[in-house]
Amino acid sequence: MAEYLFRIFRYDPEKDEGTKGRVQEYKVDVQEGWTLLDVLVHIKWFMDGTLTFRRACSHGICGSCGMTINGKNGLACETQIKDLGTQVITVEPLRGFRVIKDLVVDMEPFYDKLYAVKPYLITYTPPPSDRERLQSPEDRKLLDGKYECLLCGCCTSSCPTYWADKDFLGPCALLKAAKFSLDSRDEGWAERVNVIDDKHGIWRCHTIFNCVEACPKDLNPTKAIVELRRMALRGRL
Amino acid sequence: MLEKPSVIRHYRWHVGTIAWLLHRITGLLLIFYLVLHIWVIHHISQGPAGFNKVMGVVQTPIFLLLEIGLLGCVLYHAFNGLRIIVIEFSKEGVEAHKQIYAAMMAVAIILFLIGGVPMFIHFLHALAG
Repeated sequence: MAEYLFRIFRYDPEKDEGTKGRVQEYKVDVQEGWTLLDVLVHIKWFMDGTLTFRRACSHGICGSCGMTINGKNGLACETQIKDLGTQVITVEPLRGFRVIKDLVVDMEPFYDKLYAVKPYLITYTPPPSDRERLQSPEDRKLLDGKYECLLCGCCTSSCPTYWADKDFLGPCALLKAAKFSLDSRDEGWAERVNVIDDKHGIWRCHTIFNCVEACPKDLNPTKAIVELRRMALRGRL
Repeated sequence: MLEKPSVIRHYRWHVGTIAWLLHRITGLLLIFYLVLHIWVIHHISQGPAGFNKVMGVVQTPIFLLLEIGLLGCVLYHAFNGLRIIVIEFSKEGVEAHKQIYAAMMAVAIILFLIGGVPMFIHFLHALAG
């Protein structure tokens, strides 16, 4: 057991309207093996019931608890307190989004960008009558590192380009675009390229790599963007 | 809803952030240099006397020292630019961007020393008179 100081961003739309939010400090005795989500739940249940955050699975698969932890985005449920290496731990809502309350942000603009890239399989030729659409193991392997995304928003909200340009599709939506564009069964490139081959699309990325550092699933959205750029270039030539 | 929350702690920097930030800064400095350069060169239209006069200004010790900074800006911007090209067009470049950065910066630093040391000696001579 060790005592840690948690500096947590607080914003109550009813009480703090007109302010830029405040910091509340909590001293917590952290048990061996606790994650940040365990700490937040402990605070909410035993210290301060007003603390608000999103959570669901607590096992790094739902993508609800994305937040900025010690200045870097990640999932609270996948962050071991002792791995952070500091006695004072700051917890902030994801950057680049509007704050609804405390650590809960408005993800709607993020989802809008996701829908914009048509993140689903688009086909025109009918499937074979006797079976599903087949894919070779080699073609399937091209999608590794692209389909695992949880939509937690850690990448897009870590992106300085997104902070500056709210119309930028962002690394998450472009990763999804790459996932379907690189799928051997997909025939929707002509539709998708109209959306992503844009100054607020693939060409906006400055290869800063914040998204790669932030992704809790160790995916590489920058690689996806670079691959989309090559596809778009080949299409133009 | 809160549009712009206060920042408790600045977002963490890493190799990619620093590489991009320095690329921006050196790029802006190079634009500034380009304007200055064109301004100096345009004096050639005033004949030898006018041109020599302005060249005399840019050959003072302070400008000789700034030229070493210019060499640094050019080398950084050029070699980080090469890094970005390699990242964009090579197959495994995105994964190895940190190693590519280290390699490019090693070459840039060697070239900076090869060019910068004689320039600094020249500056010291100019300072001594």
